[in-house]
Amino acid sequence: MSEYKKVACHFCHMNCGMVAQVEDGVITKVTGDPEHPFNQGAQCPRGASALDHLNHPNRINFPLKRVGNRGAGQFERVSWEEALGDITAKLVELKDTYGAETLSSLGGTNRTDDFARRRFFNLFGSPNVAHTAPVCWIPNFLVEAASYGWAAFDPEIMNTRCVVIWGHNPATSYLPEMRGLLQAKENGAKIIVIDPIFSETAAKADLWLPVRPGSDNALALAWLNVIITEGLYDYEFVEEWTVGFEELSERVESYTPEWAEEKTGVSAELIAQAARMYAAAKPACIQWGVATDQFGRGSSAGAQARAALRIITGNLDVPGGDVMPGPHPEFITDWEMELNELLPESQRQKQLGADKFKLNTWPGYQLLTDNMVRVWGKSIPAEWFCEANAPMLFRAMITSQPYPVKACIVLANNPLVSYANSRLVYQALKSLDLLVVMDYWMTPSALLADYVLPAASWLERPVMTTTYGVSDWLIASERAIEPMFERKTDVDFWRELGLRLGQAEYWPWENDEEIFQYRLAPIGLETDSYEEFVQCYRMAFAPREYRKYQERGVATPSGKVELKSSILEQLGYDPLPHYVEPPFGSEARPEQAKAYPLTLVAGGGFMPFFHSEHREVTRIRLLRPYPRVAINPELAKKMSIHSNEWVWIETPTGRVKQQAFVTSAVAPDVIQAERGWWFPEKPTVDPELMGVFESNINVCLDDDPDTCDEACGSWCTRAVMCRIRKVGEGD
Amino acid sequence: MRWGMLIDLKKCVGCHACTVACQNENHLPLAMKYCKVYKVGPEGEYPNLTSYNIPIACMHCQEAPCVEGCPSGASHHREDGTVSINPKKCVGCRFCLLVCPYGVRHMNKETGAVEKCTLCVERLETGEVTRCTETCQLKARHVGDLDDPDSELVRIIHKENARPLYEHLGTKPSIYYIMP
Repeated sequence: MSEYKKVACHFCHMNCGMVAQVEDGVITKVTGDPEHPFNQGAQCPRGASALDHLNHPNRINFPLKRVGNRGAGQFERVSWEEALGDITAKLVELKDTYGAETLSSLGGTNRTDDFARRRFFNLFGSPNVAHTAPVCWIPNFLVEAASYGWAAFDPEIMNTRCVVIWGHNPATSYLPEMRGLLQAKENGAKIIVIDPIFSETAAKADLWLPVRPGSDNALALAWLNVIITEGLYDYEFVEEWTVGFEELSERVESYTPEWAEEKTGVSAELIAQAARMYAAAKPACIQWGVATDQFGRGSSAGAQARAALRIITGNLDVPGGDVMPGPHPEFITDWEMELNELLPESQRQKQLGADKFKLNTWPGYQLLTDNMVRVWGKSIPAEWFCEANAPMLFRAMITSQPYPVKACIVLANNPLVSYANSRLVYQALKSLDLLVVMDYWMTPSALLADYVLPAASWLERPVMTTTYGVSDWLIASERAIEPMFERKTDVDFWRELGLRLGQAEYWPWENDEEIFQYRLAPIGLETDSYEEFVQCYRMAFAPREYRKYQERGVATPSGKVELKSSILEQLGYDPLPHYVEPPFGSEARPEQAKAYPLTLVAGGGFMPFFHSEHREVTRIRLLRPYPRVAINPELAKKMSIHSNEWVWIETPTGRVKQQAFVTSAVAPDVIQAERGWWFPEKPTVDPELMGVFESNINVCLDDDPDTCDEACGSWCTRAVMCRIRKVGEGD
Repeated sequence: MRWGMLIDLKKCVGCHACTVACQNENHLPLAMKYCKVYKVGPEGEYPNLTSYNIPIACMHCQEAPCVEGCPSGASHHREDGTVSINPKKCVGCRFCLLVCPYGVRHMNKETGAVEKCTLCVERLETGEVTRCTETCQLKARHVGDLDDPDSELVRIIHKENARPLYEHLGTKPSIYYIMP
């Protein structure tokens, strides 16, 4: 007899709804769920390959223990009992010797229930959890939160008249979002795309602003200048609800379109035209995107300018504008599950990077939380929003400064590929006394581990989509089958490790479903089980309300929308939008410009992969077998490079090779290299590690903390000076 | 009754979901794709550019050179207007691969017979849409009866002035495109 399970895809964090057909405990078919609001029955190529992933012969199915030297690639199968017992003993020993802060964790993007990770860490006593947070939405979110008490990340594009897509390419990274965008366009909304690359999304835009890589901040400042100078802002909203407008006006006076033309390469006329188009359309919205989090120094300054644009145009929390959801009022959010109150102040102060990057660590998080709790009753989770800074963490692993970091638990992450400065990350991971990796596959990072643990994927686990607990809605999905072999969910892992470390009273639930049922209870639907909620309700959207500041007030110290941010000021940062030169561009490093005449854009999502994933799934891999670097035909001709020839990409930090993709989508002095590349088919032995240093563009990127974003510690992946040359024979 | 399809190139972003979903639906060998998606462009000089994507599979032509040229009668028209291949009759001569102007037929080396998109007629007969239509995140595909003037498919074809590809070749395809 067939059963139909309502599951959620984890192959990106859209979490599209799927229906799994199960016969006698075996999944026979996975299709898109037509009732799901995101994908409406559709699947991307990854989702359509769900069973290839589930049943892949290379999946890790049992706990593995290293038997040879670290990096020799030799493991033996052990029981969970033995693996968790060994890990526990080692953690106790390291904690006794160095203190709890010696344990760190690195995570990936939303393939996990991160509240469980933070709950474990708070109980263990370490503040050193990190993700790729600083380069993935968090700076934009936190700057917005400092300005108006939450992020306005839920733009109502179906009811808008103008959508600005800023450093975002949903046509390759978020297909349901792209469907909405095209629908909005049919409804008459104007689409403005800001991107140095002629992306798949730019190809569908009404107006594409081909900015120079890294110059987005200059563009945003010039938009502010035009909108204020020409009086195109919302007088009433600015007057009634904001503080700092005069200071902002003064500040942006010198950032004229002519000034920005020189920085962005876009004509002053076009800059002004686009600013008017955006400001005159009411309502309008600026979509979220993460490219602007990846400029290194100046990332949050750019976010300040975009937050100010949303504010002065009067689009904040209005129908068809930049809607600010706030937390779900009833269900128990990730923040409420984390037990942050149990981490002592003395341990919070030890968080790596907290003395330098104060907005994305405990100092800023505490200020934001105080204000959010006052207005919303809840804060944002510490996971992602309050983290150790990864570049500082890697340095502490290597140097033991300011204190030794000797252990790391990596979950849903491949740090050798996912962080800048891969060779430094390599050195860091090799310096550890204990490295535990939980993953679907043997990855280059897992090859360096002491224990590799088998992770259950989305068909084998329930998924509750809550956007890290910062949205006012949730969508619940069940598991199709129990985990195959000895795979486990991350909740199982943290719980079982916690039980061994004396945390039993804080883990009363037996499994994921019991936790989710507990979290849903306050909604009051009185379902008997989590599965019943999934089958009968599936989702809980808080009633949509607009202009919530009128009733609730604004979650900032002044109770107003702050164009001049008092939280940033209190943390010691410039409270107003300002220009920062890109840290690895010719403006900041003119002495390198001659040797490295080109500009590298390292990143951007591309189909069919998500981050560093899915290289093992053959059907997917065959769509894009090798890494590609986009090169303009003019440059290719000058360098005698033809399509598909291997090309060295060199920066002062390192060099890797990718295949030339000759295309006019990039400017003649810009190249765009793909990210996330490693080769599961290549030799596993250190230092080869599945070719992790061959084509992985993070080898070429520096993460020197002095080049990182001042407030959030974001490292720079865009606008990096580079050069290329054709790979020669034996080269 | 004539099954046909409309593909909206204003919407297609070239994600290859149709390619992969089709492979899985039809249990195809890894290298075989009934439906391929080609990127056209970007054309022009940076930053004055245009680009679009075009999915291409069997066009189910009414005047099909593959049917006319098939020496064994394997390639034939079904009553629903689709072009079908009877694998038991196919002798693997590959003549159809030569005469198809769209290059959408493939030799399956395992079976020795030629294969191609079937327009998922088994699905259509049970009221489902084709697998590529179902999986399309951008909702760029519509399938229906070209002989029914009241069908949504025909309505959109007329409204958007959709045309077949290489119409001038006179093969009368059943797949229409809304040009970008």
